[in-house]
Amino acid sequence: MSMNFSEFKKLIGADPGNRDAETLLARHSAPEFENAAAEAEAFEEKLQAALNIQPPADLLDQIKNISQQPVRQRSWIPLALAASLLILVGAAGLVWKQSHQWDSVESYIADHYSQDGGTVVAMAKENISDQDIAKILSRLDATADSELSGLIRFIKFCPTPDGRGAHMVVSTDQGLMTIIYMPKTQVTDGEMVDFDQMHALLVNLEHGSAAIIGERSQNVESLVATVRGSLKTRFVGA
Amino acid sequence: MTTETGRTLRFNELAEAYSTDLYRYAMWICGNDALAKDLVQETFLRAWRALDNLNDVAAAKSWLITILRREYARTFERKVPKFTDMDKVVIVEGDELEPDERTERDLLREGILKLDPKYRDPLLLQVVFGHSCAEISEQLEITKSAVMTQLFRAREKLKVQLQKDGVTGNVHELF
Repeated sequence: MSMNFSEFKKLIGADPGNRDAETLLARHSAPEFENAAAEAEAFEEKLQAALNIQPPADLLDQIKNISQQPVRQRSWIPLALAASLLILVGAAGLVWKQSHQWDSVESYIADHYSQDGGTVVAMAKENISDQDIAKILSRLDATADSELSGLIRFIKFCPTPDGRGAHMVVSTDQGLMTIIYMPKTQVTDGEMVDFDQMHALLVNLEHGSAAIIGERSQNVESLVATVRGSLKTRFVGA
Repeated sequence: MTTETGRTLRFNELAEAYSTDLYRYAMWICGNDALAKDLVQETFLRAWRALDNLNDVAAAKSWLITILRREYARTFERKVPKFTDMDKVVIVEGDELEPDERTERDLLREGILKLDPKYRDPLLLQVVFGHSCAEISEQLEITKSAVMTQLFRAREKLKVQLQKDGVTGNVHELF
């Protein structure tokens, strides 16, 4: 059975390069079919030209350089370095925690971030699994829904003025920012804390609080709704 | 020839055959030249590590596209990259275009970036990689008839976009 004009237009609209016998037969069956096919081909040329982007001149060489890398026995080095760094940060944090008591949340934020904030941000490169995030937050009786967990690039326990909390690095369209969750600490909601070249916005949650920390050029307020809406907290007994 | 040399040659052949098309594809799905370059390099890095798993050379193109799509989903889907100013990206052909033709091409490019991924993905696989509808169906794990519908609609949307944005002359004659 021969193809009608509507079927033909749909077919060449989906696959202008179609050269099967039935399509060619239909194309040559009447001038309107020929015209429609010619129009589709002309559009296709424009489409191909529009998509025709030239890659950077050095891309191929850079890709070929990949083959200079050893295939095996390669992955333990960065892992070991990361692990060593993590242990170092943890150990330094422990020593630092034992030697510090803060007289205010503001001084804690400035002190804590100055101590390892930059290092932790530098370690936040890869996505981490939802399970790892859940594992840490559950120990603090908290959960993060996908809106927040999808942004998290690093998470670890950290000291807070009133016990253990979580130190997270999140990826945003303005770059990486830090969230410190303090399960037992109340703050002055909406207070902005400036220190070094950074600023932090303090946010009270249903239970506990969080500090959203970024460089001064970053809009830390942009994360408030996500933190309030996605970081679900439960009361943690004293 | 040592195994390692053979492996390198094989990898380099893949890079020469597919890096340009993969870059174009990456560029149109993420809309950012720096991210597109990263995506392609990461794709080939993973391909290099897993090259021994590629038994069928004929499947290399689809294999690389799959790696790139996964990498894109894993790394960038949750972070919307800033669109590159396409005027900064060199176009291989058509630099001698007339102003009307240049406008039309720019509108088409803008329309492609605005397309819903469900229409854009099959269109890119078809036009950039020359995939058949059956290959697209396999790559995207959707039926062939769904592929045909999405390809038809993708082109219709681009044509409507051109008409809506007031391109006259040849375009109106075309559609």
